[in-house]
Amino acid sequence: METNNEKGRKLKRESYRKKGSQKEPTNVEWKRVSDYICGFASKLTKHDCNTELTFYSKLITSKNCCGSQILYHFNTSQEKRREEKRREESYMRMACIDRTSPALKQILLKLYCAEKPLEIDHHLYEFGSVEYHIQSQASNPQLAYLSISMPPLCHGVLPNELSSKTIEMVKGICPNVVEIIEPAKEGYQLTLKLNLNQIPRNKDYDKIIREISSVHSVILSSQLKEILWNVNSDDALQGMYKPIKLVYHPREPFFLIRQPQRIIAVFPIRFKEKSDVTIATTFFQELVDVGSSDKWAKAPHCNWSAIPPPELRGEAFEDLSTNGGFFTFDISSRHVEGNRLDKTVWSLLNFSAYVRYHVKSTKGFIQRRMRKRLESLVEVLHQTNSEENEQTKQHQVHRYTKKLVRSTKYVILKQRWRTFGRKIKRIGFRLKIHGFTRFRQRWLRFPKFSTGYTKID
Amino acid sequence: MASTLRLYLTCIRNTLEAAMCLQNFPCQEVERHNKPEVELKTSPELLLNPVLICRNEAEKCLIETSINSLRISLKVKQADELENILTKKFLRFLSMRAEAFQVLRRKPVQGYDISFLITNYHCEDMQKHKLIDFIVQFMEDIDKEISELKMSVNTRGRLVATEFLKQFI
Repeated sequence: METNNEKGRKLKRESYRKKGSQKEPTNVEWKRVSDYICGFASKLTKHDCNTELTFYSKLITSKNCCGSQILYHFNTSQEKRREEKRREESYMRMACIDRTSPALKQILLKLYCAEKPLEIDHHLYEFGSVEYHIQSQASNPQLAYLSISMPPLCHGVLPNELSSKTIEMVKGICPNVVEIIEPAKEGYQLTLKLNLNQIPRNKDYDKIIREISSVHSVILSSQLKEILWNVNSDDALQGMYKPIKLVYHPREPFFLIRQPQRIIAVFPIRFKEKSDVTIATTFFQELVDVGSSDKWAKAPHCNWSAIPPPELRGEAFEDLSTNGGFFTFDISSRHVEGNRLDKTVWSLLNFSAYVRYHVKSTKGFIQRRMRKRLESLVEVLHQTNSEENEQTKQHQVHRYTKKLVRSTKYVILKQRWRTFGRKIKRIGFRLKIHGFTRFRQRWLRFPKFSTGYTKID
Repeated sequence: MASTLRLYLTCIRNTLEAAMCLQNFPCQEVERHNKPEVELKTSPELLLNPVLICRNEAEKCLIETSINSLRISLKVKQADELENILTKKFLRFLSMRAEAFQVLRRKPVQGYDISFLITNYHCEDMQKHKLIDFIVQFMEDIDKEISELKMSVNTRGRLVATEFLKQFI
């Protein structure tokens, strides 16, 4: 394998050779140079603009060649890599919707990193029903109060107050930093006292703040776990499995049915636009196909149907009227064992958001592609136009020269004819009287008679 | 290219070559006006018989000719719901940007997905055979683009589905 140094030396030799010959490098050589730069630049620290720029300038001077071309090659390859990375990131983002609240995280980071004491009193709303209230006083910047209010995940099954298990789970988030205040602030279900001075000053602070910002997801997961393990146990003993209606996102309820060997999660799918329904349906078909393949035998069995599954018989009509059908997950005991339970619960809670995000990004992808295609289609027509224009121009120039030649000949002939006519006139008058020609032109003229006719009415 | 498609496109090309003999013709109704007769249809003596070329029930092309203008309407195949959505989206996108094409009609003729209106001025500005080439190329490209888009959407869906199921394993 050739190392980068050897490659560099080789390229330098080539550049010196070219210096002597003064020949322009070929495209293949440009490609090699740009590959070399990309190989080197990939080892540099990310977003290190100064280093990159120094490297560009050095390389351009050493190669004694057109910098813009090198930069063009470099930029295109960089862009490609960035695009790939962005695509990967988007898939990853889709795979796991972030548990942290971005706005809350930003405010906490701002509070933590502030050099001067800050006075903060913010109200944040998420999904239209979750409310955060953050308070911090300038007199005591080391303390911050975070209050949360959220609607219950399941009406009628869970009480409005948080259960002891949920509170224990919340206490588990950084016990040194987070302290639960009882009773909670009026209008909120939970109030946390954050000791910001307890957050370590090393790199871990970001992780801790992220954990605090994900308090909402911790509460939700704990509630869902509670529902899965405790609720319906009496009905199950009697052989009745009633569906539990859960509302995580407003207007997007889903149902859970607990059976002895499995848990069934049913998602009614509703979209405003028909195109969204079609894209989502295509995604569901793919999900069913992938889920039923041997490779994904360990994943929960998925099913999509346009009509409601029999387990939902007896539910309210408004819950069963959909335009995107019903998607069902069969969750076995394997998927709720140990650490998997947390992942499964979070995936189920965010399935609707996941589908919506996919639909939205697919529409964006289609739009981008159409835009590109339009450019290429129009280009064909413009090529036709430009060719036509060039041809017309050439033709016009040709015609113009012809006209010019013709007009010159015509003028010369006309002039000759005039002089000839004058000579004849002079010959006709033997006596030459000064000023007689003018007198003749004025007075000795034949009267003109009109040849036209007048219409008689 | 499939042989049936080639035959269909050749037939359209030949018909267009025969039909595209347009000339300047002032409007007979309004003085000092010059209007595409194929759109107004005020004087039947200025119109030729429309030609309908069908590949199948879902794919057809209507060529309406008059003395100074020509209207080509296309119906693109839509095998399933996704193709239907993609075709509608794409052709609507193009129609909204009709000024970029010059010969594209903003609204398609009823029963068709997209329409072109070529006048004698277009034929004077652009070459006749190039215009015919463009129309035929456009038809080929639309078919290709829609099947590629469908493939991409399906592939994307499969990738996203795989990523989602990974969370359970």
